[in-house]
Amino acid sequence: MGNKQTIFTDEQLDAYQDCTFFTRKEILRLHGRYHELAPNMVPMDYTRDPDVKLPIQLIVNMPELKENPFGERIVMSFSEDGDGNLSFNDFVDMFSVLSEMAPRELKAIYAFKIYDFNTDNFICKSDLEKTLNNLTKEELTEEEVVLVCEKVIEEADMDGDGKLGFSDFENMISKAPDFLSPFKIRDILQP
Amino acid sequence: MEPSAAGTNGFSWGSRGTPSLLELPSNQTLRFRGNRALTWGAALEGLESATGTVPQDQPTKDLEEEERPLKELPLCLAEKHRLRHQQEQVKGQLRGRGLWHTGKGRALRRFQSRMRDMLSQAEVWRGALRNIEGHFGTGIQSYFNFLRFLVLMNFVAALLVAGFVVVPNIVFEELRLNWMGDSQESAVNASCLHYNPNPQGLVSYFTYIMDLLSGKGFMELTYLFYGYYKNSVVDFVGFSYNIPLAYLLTTLFYLFFCLLWVVRRSVQRLRHSLVTEDGSLGTYSEKIFAGWDFGLTQRQVVELRKKSICYELKLELEEEALKQHQAAQTTRQRASLYAVRGLVNALVLVLLGAAFYCIYRATEYSQSLLGQDDSPVKGFYFLELLVAYLPSIVITAANLIFPMIFGVIVGLEKYPLSMEIKLTLLRSVFLRLASLAVLLISLWSQITCNGDLQSWGCETCGYNVHIHPCWETSVGQEMYKLLVFDWVTLLLVTLLVEFPRKMLVTQFPSCSLFRLWGQQEFLVPSNVLDLVYGQTVCWTGVLFCPLLPVLNTLKYIAIFYLKKLTLFTNCRPSDRTFRASSANFFFLLVLLLGLMLACVPALYSIFVLPPSKVCGPFRGELNMWSAVSIAVSKLPDITRDFLYFIGSLGFAVPLFLLLSILMFYLMALASSCSQMVMDLKSQLQLVSDA
Repeated sequence: MGNKQTIFTDEQLDAYQDCTFFTRKEILRLHGRYHELAPNMVPMDYTRDPDVKLPIQLIVNMPELKENPFGERIVMSFSEDGDGNLSFNDFVDMFSVLSEMAPRELKAIYAFKIYDFNTDNFICKSDLEKTLNNLTKEELTEEEVVLVCEKVIEEADMDGDGKLGFSDFENMISKAPDFLSPFKIRDILQP
Repeated sequence: MEPSAAGTNGFSWGSRGTPSLLELPSNQTLRFRGNRALTWGAALEGLESATGTVPQDQPTKDLEEEERPLKELPLCLAEKHRLRHQQEQVKGQLRGRGLWHTGKGRALRRFQSRMRDMLSQAEVWRGALRNIEGHFGTGIQSYFNFLRFLVLMNFVAALLVAGFVVVPNIVFEELRLNWMGDSQESAVNASCLHYNPNPQGLVSYFTYIMDLLSGKGFMELTYLFYGYYKNSVVDFVGFSYNIPLAYLLTTLFYLFFCLLWVVRRSVQRLRHSLVTEDGSLGTYSEKIFAGWDFGLTQRQVVELRKKSICYELKLELEEEALKQHQAAQTTRQRASLYAVRGLVNALVLVLLGAAFYCIYRATEYSQSLLGQDDSPVKGFYFLELLVAYLPSIVITAANLIFPMIFGVIVGLEKYPLSMEIKLTLLRSVFLRLASLAVLLISLWSQITCNGDLQSWGCETCGYNVHIHPCWETSVGQEMYKLLVFDWVTLLLVTLLVEFPRKMLVTQFPSCSLFRLWGQQEFLVPSNVLDLVYGQTVCWTGVLFCPLLPVLNTLKYIAIFYLKKLTLFTNCRPSDRTFRASSANFFFLLVLLLGLMLACVPALYSIFVLPPSKVCGPFRGELNMWSAVSIAVSKLPDITRDFLYFIGSLGFAVPLFLLLSILMFYLMALASSCSQMVMDLKSQLQLVSDA
């Protein structure tokens, strides 16, 4: 890869490097993936910051997100307009947070957003039930689901309001030693 | 749907403001994890000062620190671009030194991050480990991590031993330097000096293979074993190299160095697991929030993972139900349960006793049969090999069969599942290490005629010279045989059991027997115990067989590739995800236990047993440690007195008292910290209720 690329200006690439966890090469490869999703909508020339957003269906069908039960929630959490449409900035942001280099605190913030289905900044019982159903493909019985949700709230709720605020979530996550490693998408950059 | 503003810089931190976040126990744990993780304070400071207008007279240091969390701010990319633009504008207004500072700072940080990336790329087997993690999860990856750690440790140790003991010997021999041997052999009884391990007469080809496998014959007088090294000091143009001293000190330093490395690594893991595992916390929440691997992309793996999470949750619920059921039992039922548990424990002890007795008898039989010149098995090569390997065979057989029995009978004790696993593991560990100990004890009783140094065989030379003219080499040979047999067993089990199992199960899916047997599951605990056992054998044998670390390194490298191959071709992802974090510390603890066990024969041989009079670098000395005492007595006065003082009671007792006081202080500190945590937790509840 030489310096002859005309997709981004050098200034833009520097800005991306400072604001995300990717290097120049990786940003260009990401642009390639973004372009592949909709070649006729995504321009090859980003020097003028075109305002292009891809709808959620295209993003969710990427191989990295297709089988993920939380795929839709991930895209929604990073979408700026709230409808699930991702611009290239949001796209890069999403994979930057889900990359290996992002720190635990940052991942915890977005994990909270992902699990918060009704986006009220609290993980309440209904959010938990939806999460559980996504995770277990509805193989648990009704009462088992209710029991597990109750146990989770019992374990993690520090302030006793019956739902998990962000500080409860963050506290619980900090005690889960294996949290950091599963919460990433590997090999997004492999061709 | 809330507008996007709530999701970005308007992100509400809940009903509480900033200050209490800094007091959260989680913040303390973040600090505990070292400087890699930013505390909440740092991230928030960056956020607060970045969203406001940046005053122009702000010192340049703040600007440098603000840049660091820019990547890590939970803002959308457009916002970050805007912030960065702002920062650039402010930087543009700096003049002279300030500008130079920030420029240099940024260049330095970029360089540092690139160096860090390169270093992490240079880690051995990094790609392979990531691949394993992606397919099988962190539990199985922890096994390979542990294996990599052992390979590195053995490699460094091999360099150490080779560099200070083997290579100098080779160099001095090649250069045929002036040997200054000791002339103490005249005082030694001639009957102690009968030793000729070289094969006599016409030697058949098969004998070479036998010798290679058992360490006797042509292999005995090589650099591999203790017996070959000379007991001389090489003096060459003012450069003097004391070989016995080097041998002894290198071995001791090797054991000490391994101790330091394992302790350091286990302290790191312990810190992690103590902080994160509160006991009261997290099984359900952890499974739900940290249970899903976002990197899984294949449908089958995803389905399996969902099933395994479901299975685990059901297990947890069952355990809970069992606990409640047990708590509700009457005293009579409880008494009968305890009686059953007592019986099972007694049964375990009986089984262990039987195993140890078999090992003891096998070792005795093997050594005595091979030591005789007119033994009935001479000439029958295969039988000879069998007898030579009899202790290893019995130990391996016991370690294959008994854990299975333990796994079955632990079900009778009606413990919850996690406790069952731990108990079976503990019993298997004990069996493994104790069987090695029994082997060593039986060797010891042979060498010292059951401790009675005045009995018939041992009175002339202080050790049993008839069976073991060069007893250190005999012990080294036993360790060598254990190593070889362990490796051969592993190879055979993989080739003859795992691969055929996979082929049979996939080719004949209709046969119910095969379906019941199922595909191989990679069991981490038993595999780790195998590794620990191999490492303990290496540590035990290093005094008697200096090249053992080298062989061990090669063996572990081969095991890495073999296990990786069998993992990917034969194993299915397991139903139960293995909790890597708590187990890591446990494995290191077992490794430490093995090291302690290995130090005992080494120290005993150095300080108590008389070295062989006919071979080795300590021939003619009273014991091995005398080489050090002689060397110390030749040092200048001040150093010598200082070293004598350190070795005396006058130093040891105050040191012991000081360390005890320190330990009590740390225990008090730890209990007060946990008390503070509980107080803070209840405070949190009060704050929210108010």
